[in-house]
Amino acid sequence: MFKWILAAGAAALALSTPVLAQQGGGNKGGGGKPEKAAKADHGGGGGGKQARIERGGDVAPARGNRARSEDKARTSGKVERMALPSRSEDRGRIVRDGKDSVRAAQRKPEKVEKRVAKADRDTMDSGRMVRLDDDRRGERGLIDGCPPGLARKANGCLPPGRFQKLGSALSPAFASRMLDGAYQQWYRDDERFFYRDDGDYIYRVNRNGGLIDALFPLADRDFSYYPVGMDYPSQFDQYNVPQQFQSFYPDGGDYDYRYGDGAIYQVDPSTNAIQSIVALLAGDLGVGQQMPVNYGAYNVPLDYRDRYYDTPDAMYRYNDGYIYQADPKTQLITAVIDAIV
Amino acid sequence: MTKPWMLGCVAALALVACGKQSEPAATSVPAAEKAGKETLATGLGNNARLAEAARAAGLEATLAGPGPYTLLAPSDAAFDKLPAGALDTLMKPEGRAELTAVLSHHILPGTILAADLGKAIDAGKGKALVATIGGGTLTATRDGERIVLADAVGTRAIVTAADQERSNGVLHQVDSVLMPTQ
Repeated sequence: MFKWILAAGAAALALSTPVLAQQGGGNKGGGGKPEKAAKADHGGGGGGKQARIERGGDVAPARGNRARSEDKARTSGKVERMALPSRSEDRGRIVRDGKDSVRAAQRKPEKVEKRVAKADRDTMDSGRMVRLDDDRRGERGLIDGCPPGLARKANGCLPPGRFQKLGSALSPAFASRMLDGAYQQWYRDDERFFYRDDGDYIYRVNRNGGLIDALFPLADRDFSYYPVGMDYPSQFDQYNVPQQFQSFYPDGGDYDYRYGDGAIYQVDPSTNAIQSIVALLAGDLGVGQQMPVNYGAYNVPLDYRDRYYDTPDAMYRYNDGYIYQADPKTQLITAVIDAIV
Repeated sequence: MTKPWMLGCVAALALVACGKQSEPAATSVPAAEKAGKETLATGLGNNARLAEAARAAGLEATLAGPGPYTLLAPSDAAFDKLPAGALDTLMKPEGRAELTAVLSHHILPGTILAADLGKAIDAGKGKALVATIGGGTLTATRDGERIVLADAVGTRAIVTAADQERSNGVLHQVDSVLMPTQ
């Protein structure tokens, strides 16, 4: 994890505009990319508009959707490829500031999340943005220019390789680990594929043969996007756009599209360089979880307000292409009531 | 055949210098069609520095995409309130990750009108917590007739012009830049 501050000496203090505070741990990126992986089939039930969807019910509490991380290692002014580490070592240890932990706390009830106070960790550096490592274990941080959990290798910062390999059979230990939170809606099992996670990564498994067809990090760190200019991690270079956005962002044209930790990226197919962020996703809501306390404000898109307005018996909130229904009394999200993208 | 970058240039005219085929696409054709013409991206005529920052972060396609989002749009004067050199640092290539994080702290999921914030504030007995798309939380309060949004360290952004409806969301002008804190 890192901490960012906007260090501008006395001027910054006087203005009380502090602060780019710590970022969620540095675990994004892709290591070496000897060659672009062959494109996998698009998983899932096709993107695009769904008609009415009503799901309710028996869904495990959200474990959380994102683990924002980011990388900054660069050489000679060029963004360097980086990669995500396994999250197993991070589990339950995401450090957050109390004021901003609302969403995380809602999403990850079984994980202890807290944020360290940042003020005593800030550092001034004559007007430059400074990111400090957040030593969750006291010894972590940028080591040889790599985020926590990554190791410097000849071809960049690489993950420890704890994820199951593409093309291998999914471990039986994870066969019953259904996705939860927003991911359960974004990546729905269908006749061709099913999705499971091992706590660190999401795996798309081809029912025909049972082999892993795609994988990407089960991320859950906030404010941490792949910056434009870096390469999308080659280890996860399979089409993985959430199903509700697939009709907007298909592969096969002039650009590829990839999801990663809260954003959909437009990628140059020939270089794998991220050219643009085409959508930001919150990943906050999931059927079966409590409505986060920071969703008190009604946010249903204007065109849908005549159908979905809060009443004493039902409340509605929008998130990432879906309108969710919740019980105002219990704040329990009971259904995805409409898909609007 | 219309290339995606062409339509993207139209959709994000306020943000993207178009005309060169080497320009990356601002968004895909289907996404631009869904977003409509009067997008958040094209609504930044009075927010030149925000528009420039969005372009630097590669977020112009997001603002030109389907959304919908609620954009808290800091004025140019708001950026002037940042510490000297801060924005310049963010605008450098090595500052893109941080810049993206900062901008995402001004984007809220869905369409939240000022009245929606007001109702939530009233229901919350004077304040309401609001999720940002980047994973943060803002605190909304009233200051007289005005809505104020504050970040975790207390920076207050007053909504100076609310409810500028766009085809892919709504835009509120604010007078300060809010900072993400984790």
